[in-house]
Amino acid sequence: MVAIYYVMAVSALYFVILLFSFRNIRDIFRRANYSKYNTLSGSELVPSVSLLVPAYNEELTIAENVRCLMTLNYPTYEVIVINDGSSDDTLQVLIEEYGLTLLPNPELRGNIHTHKMRGIYYNPQYPQLYVIDKENGGKADSLNAGINLSRYPLISSIDADSLLEKDALIRMARMYMENPEETVAIGGDVRIANGCVIENGEVKDVSLPRRMWPMFQSIEYLKAFLGGRIGWSHLNGLIIVSGAFGMFRKDYVIAVGGYRGGYPGEDMNIIIKLHRYMLENKIKYRVSFCPEAVCWTQAPDSYNILSNQRKRWGRGNLKNMIENRNMLFNPKYKVMGLLTMPYNVIFEALNPYFRITGLLALLGYVMLDMTNWQVLVVFGLVNFLSGYLLSVGALILEEMAFRRYTKLSDLVKMLLFSALKFVGYHQLGVLWRVQGHIQYMQNNNSWGTMTRQSWKDKNEAA
Amino acid sequence: MFSNLAMAYVFIYVCLGLIAAGIILLFQMKIKHNAEQKEMERLKKKYHDYFVYVQTHLHGDITPELPPGKLTPAERRVIQAKFMEWIEQFKGDAREKLLRLCRDAGFVEADIRALSSLRKDRRIEAAYRLGGMRAEEAVPQLQHMMNRMKYGPMTIIIARAIAKSAVQSQQIREMLSKLLSYDKAIHHMAADILLETRLDSASLMRKLLDDPDPGLVKVSLVAMWGQAIPAVVPALGKLVGSEEKDVRAEAVKLYLSSNPALKDDTIEELMNDHAWEVRSAAAKALGRLHAAGSIPLLASALKDDNWYVRNHSAESLAMLGEQGFETLCQAALTGTGPARETALYRIERIMAKEGEHEQVEQMVAYNKRKLVYDRYFGVQPSKRIGTVAGVGGDYTA
Repeated sequence: MVAIYYVMAVSALYFVILLFSFRNIRDIFRRANYSKYNTLSGSELVPSVSLLVPAYNEELTIAENVRCLMTLNYPTYEVIVINDGSSDDTLQVLIEEYGLTLLPNPELRGNIHTHKMRGIYYNPQYPQLYVIDKENGGKADSLNAGINLSRYPLISSIDADSLLEKDALIRMARMYMENPEETVAIGGDVRIANGCVIENGEVKDVSLPRRMWPMFQSIEYLKAFLGGRIGWSHLNGLIIVSGAFGMFRKDYVIAVGGYRGGYPGEDMNIIIKLHRYMLENKIKYRVSFCPEAVCWTQAPDSYNILSNQRKRWGRGNLKNMIENRNMLFNPKYKVMGLLTMPYNVIFEALNPYFRITGLLALLGYVMLDMTNWQVLVVFGLVNFLSGYLLSVGALILEEMAFRRYTKLSDLVKMLLFSALKFVGYHQLGVLWRVQGHIQYMQNNNSWGTMTRQSWKDKNEAA
Repeated sequence: MFSNLAMAYVFIYVCLGLIAAGIILLFQMKIKHNAEQKEMERLKKKYHDYFVYVQTHLHGDITPELPPGKLTPAERRVIQAKFMEWIEQFKGDAREKLLRLCRDAGFVEADIRALSSLRKDRRIEAAYRLGGMRAEEAVPQLQHMMNRMKYGPMTIIIARAIAKSAVQSQQIREMLSKLLSYDKAIHHMAADILLETRLDSASLMRKLLDDPDPGLVKVSLVAMWGQAIPAVVPALGKLVGSEEKDVRAEAVKLYLSSNPALKDDTIEELMNDHAWEVRSAAAKALGRLHAAGSIPLLASALKDDNWYVRNHSAESLAMLGEQGFETLCQAALTGTGPARETALYRIERIMAKEGEHEQVEQMVAYNKRKLVYDRYFGVQPSKRIGTVAGVGGDYTA
């Protein structure tokens, strides 16, 4: 019965967070609809932002993504692409596309230690674009190199396989301007681009993915971002700002020593470090989530790539929890120490073990006395229905505030896949997480394979 | 075990009930939204000719009229949205005609009534639309609404509506004071809101610069976007000596941007100010003001702890003729640490512009610098120092 209670407790917590999301969703809708961004996006009063785009073997998508970033509705910003020692032609593609030349004597303002920089490329005709070429050192190392070159007080990390909506940055900046002293980080909403029509680095027609794996991820992202992060940000207990799209105060990122290299999960790590720094120094702060600032990303569409990604996440999550274990149940760290971290350890990191041992115990119990088979069914139903209810909740939030998927058939498809997720995909998620933990124990720190398709191919295949 | 199972059953039934209700709600919302969307599209098409008629008469002598007959709520929404879109785009007579149309159609009246609605949604929407229609009569109610509210994104929406609608500078002042009273350091946002006003900006800025509240002074300084309006320069001159660091820095920046004649001791005072923002603004202005007498001050500012001060000093030195450029070359050759790096970087940038000059004067100036450069670094023009120059850890940006 412990297993059933565990599931019910997890669900209850999820529901509480979901309720906070519901509490805030109308305000989000109003601020997104009744704030006019065209005046702000032409205003010198908006803070300047340095966009940092780490790129490793992105030759197929990088040109289109940079084109997208160069045409955002934002007054003053720079795009810094960091070629992290790619073995393909990422750098060459950029040099040719933008006519870049090596800067003879570039200046670096920051001094966070990074792997060696080979050079910085620039073309005065594209004054806001810089390309750093450096030796391979990982995503965190690339972001640190970008910080060292950046000129502006805000930085925004963007994955090279992601496309920002034209207003995404200005929406985030508006949120920042509402409380600039206390805001240390803002996360954007990440959505799955597979299936959408993409033209000139812009999502022209929103559609659900046609393939199974991206479709499951679509539902998963909706649930995590709308159902979870809106609520957590209300409590100021957000533990992660997605690496795909987030905005940070540069001075605080530097104060915490920049991004931690050498291990996945740097996006969660930087947020934990920021919480820790602000709380230890008793500085009033907030880590916010801006769901109306949307970034579209390519989701892995094959089993191998997806499993590698999830194992990496599992490993990164465990590493972050172990590294920051002293925050657990520590009242000094307020919501982070008393709620977010325990929640993350008990209900996220250890989740697979509770579920697996619970299921095994139940199976054993049923094997001993076959007349109790209904206990197993009840366990399954509690699991399924509570999860499905959360998905339905996330879909209602989407419909209340964003309505990106307009077709009725999309709604039917999302409801169907929200249910199908529990037959196989959910269990695979548990397995991948356990495998990630095993990799952590074995000190296996590989990134795994990640292949890209150009946006054009993606449109055809998705 | 039985009671445990019974509890699980209750949980299951509750979940089932909520799921069923959720799915019904989802379909109902989706169908309703899609139908509304379709209806809006249909109405936009239906009123296309009417919109063309209004648009053609916005700039002529004829005042456009409302469409004949009684409008349905959906029709009113479509027409009002289009008028509001145009109000943002047009100024002068065209805007006045549109505002009058909104009044005649009863849009303003209806939205003022909606400000008292029990539903927050309707109140906020009405406030937004009243701002869009520059409804001055709604300002007292909007102020009341703002005063009763906790700070958040809705406060900004209402503040904007007040800024757009207000016809008295006192109303703007009260709105700004309220915004700043939340103590959130939102001067930039407040300045952006202030710029929505229809009032004469020069006299409004002058009033705010003379305000005893330093917060309001800062908002007006920020709102000038780094370019002083001539009418406010005397007020800025006074603020240059302000004790508030932020106010002083902003005032100095703006004051210097108005190209004033500066006394030597004023320049020295500014270049030795303890706020880096002031030193940086002064360093930046000296090149543009062609204050050749300040070369020694700028040369010593190359050693400043702050990145901006160093770089602006180097930039200004480069603008101060041969003498300034020679000072830069000296710093690059004989200086140390950041001063040397900053000077080198600036020299590299200037020398890299070879062949880019179209005007004869520019070519002559470049050649003079080239001679000085060759004298210090030898004849080879592409002498590069290192691959990546580290200017030191300065994160003030």
